Amino acid sequence: MDRDTSKTYAVIAIALLATVPVGVFAQSSGPRNPGSTANTPDRPPANTPIPDYYQASLQSYVKMKAEAHGGTPFRRDTYGKMPDWSGLWSRDLSHGLKFDSKQSGNGFNVPLGPITADLTPRYKAAFEQKLREVASGNEWDQLSDCLPAGYPRWLTEPFLREFILTPEETWWINEQQSEARRIYTDGRGHVPDEIAHGLWDGDSIGFWDNQTLVVHTIRVIHGEYQRSQPDYSYQTSTLERIHMVDHDTIVDEVTVWDPKGLRTPWHVVMQYKRVTDAGARIDMWSCEGNNNVIRTASGSSQFILPGESVTVTRAYKDPDTFYLTTTQKKLFAQDEAEDLAKQGGKK
Amino acid sequence: MTIRTFECYARARTAAAAMGIVLLMPLNAATAHHSAAMFDHSKKLTLSGTVKNFQFTNPHSWLMVTVTGTDGNPVEWGFEAEGPSTLLHAGILPKSFRPGDKVTVTANPMRDGRPAGALISVVTADGSVYRTMPGAPPASHPPIPKE
Repeated sequence: MDRDTSKTYAVIAIALLATVPVGVFAQSSGPRNPGSTANTPDRPPANTPIPDYYQASLQSYVKMKAEAHGGTPFRRDTYGKMPDWSGLWSRDLSHGLKFDSKQSGNGFNVPLGPITADLTPRYKAAFEQKLREVASGNEWDQLSDCLPAGYPRWLTEPFLREFILTPEETWWINEQQSEARRIYTDGRGHVPDEIAHGLWDGDSIGFWDNQTLVVHTIRVIHGEYQRSQPDYSYQTSTLERIHMVDHDTIVDEVTVWDPKGLRTPWHVVMQYKRVTDAGARIDMWSCEGNNNVIRTASGSSQFILPGESVTVTRAYKDPDTFYLTTTQKKLFAQDEAEDLAKQGGKK
Repeated sequence: MTIRTFECYARARTAAAAMGIVLLMPLNAATAHHSAAMFDHSKKLTLSGTVKNFQFTNPHSWLMVTVTGTDGNPVEWGFEAEGPSTLLHAGILPKSFRPGDKVTVTANPMRDGRPAGALISVVTADGSVYRTMPGAPPASHPPIPKE
C-alpha cells in the first residue's frame, strides 16, 4: 500500500466511523438474530479498507450516509416501519432492455440511439467493435452458457423479481438463473481485500434512509451491461438508491463508477413494475432444462433443433474467459496488462 | 464449442422453401437468454399445422408444430417463446396449445432457413389469438460507427 492510498484509507475510515451507530462493533461478537445469512460471525467492520479504484463511489456513499445521520436503524421490533415491497416485480420493458436509460429508442419497435455513457477510448472502441460484430450476426451471450447475468447487468433483466427485507439484510431476487443479490444493512463493511474475490453480483452493503435503500456495491466480475450495450471492468462500483414511487412502481437510481471503462460516472434509472398475473410464482430457473443454444465457430449463437445431430468440439474451459467474446477477452486482457504495468510487472 | 455438422440443415432449408413461407414486415425478437441474431426480424412467416407439444419451461418455451409441406411430407417446426412467467403475463397458459390442436403460427424465421422461428402469435381453431410479446421484443442495436 503506498502512502497516498494509506492516507485515503485513513480519511475514509474516520468518516465511516463517524457514521457507524454505537454498538455496531460490539454486536459483531455478540448474539445474533436468527433467520438470515447476516447471522454469521463474519461481519467486517464498517471501516474495512477497500482498493483505491472504489474510493470515489465509497466517498459518495459515506457522504450520503452522513446526510442520513447514519441511516434509519430498523430493528426486529420496528420491522413494521420498514417499507412494504412484498409481491412480484418485473423490469418495466416500455423502454427496452437497455442499461442506458437516457439512450433513445427501446430496441423493440423503435431503434436504439447512440449510447450516452462517457466511455474511455478503449471501452468505446470495444463497444463499437461489438456492434459491428452483432450487425454481422456474431453475438454470444454468457446467459447461453447458463451463467448468471451478473451485476450490474442484472438490473436490466426482465422476468419476475422479489424483495425480501429484514433489518439486517435485503435479498433482491430475479428468477432468471435464480440469481439473488444480498445487501447487508447490519452496519458491516465490505469484505477485506486480502480475502475478497470477484463475485457475479458483487459485495453489497447498504443502509436505510427512511424508506429508501442505499446500496454500495464493489467486487463485480467484468461483463457487459446488456447485449448491444458497453462492457464494464472488474473495477466497477455502484451507488444505488432504491425506493417505491407508488404502489406499483419501484425505482432504482444507479450511479456507476468504472475507472477503466468510464471517464465520468454514469447515472441511470431503472424502473420495476408490480406483477399481479394469476399463477405467477418465482420458480427455480434451470437454464439447462431447455437450452439448445450453442456457439458456432464464427462466434455466433445457434440452435440445435429436433432431429438434428451436431458434433461439438469441447475444449478446456478457462473459468475466467470461456464465456467471453473475442472482443471482450482482448479488452479485459488489456485491463490486466494495464494493472501489471502499474505494478511494475509484479502480479 | 464448434459446430462441425448440421446433418438436417439442407433438408430443412429445402422444406421451408417448398412450403411457400409468407414473408411480411419486421418487428420481433425475444427477451432471451441468447442472442437473437439467428432470427430474421425483417421477415415474418405464417404456417398452419398441428401441435406436437408445447414445452412450457425456462429458459424458453417452445411450441412444436408438425407442418405438411407441399410435397406431402411432414416437417417438425419449432417456435421459440418466452419462459412461463412472461407467457402467463401474455395470457398463454401451459394448456393453451395441446397436442393435436390445429394452429396457425406467425414467427420471425431463422436466417439459415431451418424450420424454426421466434414466435409472435398463434391462432387456434376456435379463432383465439395468442400474442407472445405484448410489448414487442428487441431487435435493434445502437447505430454502428464506421471503422
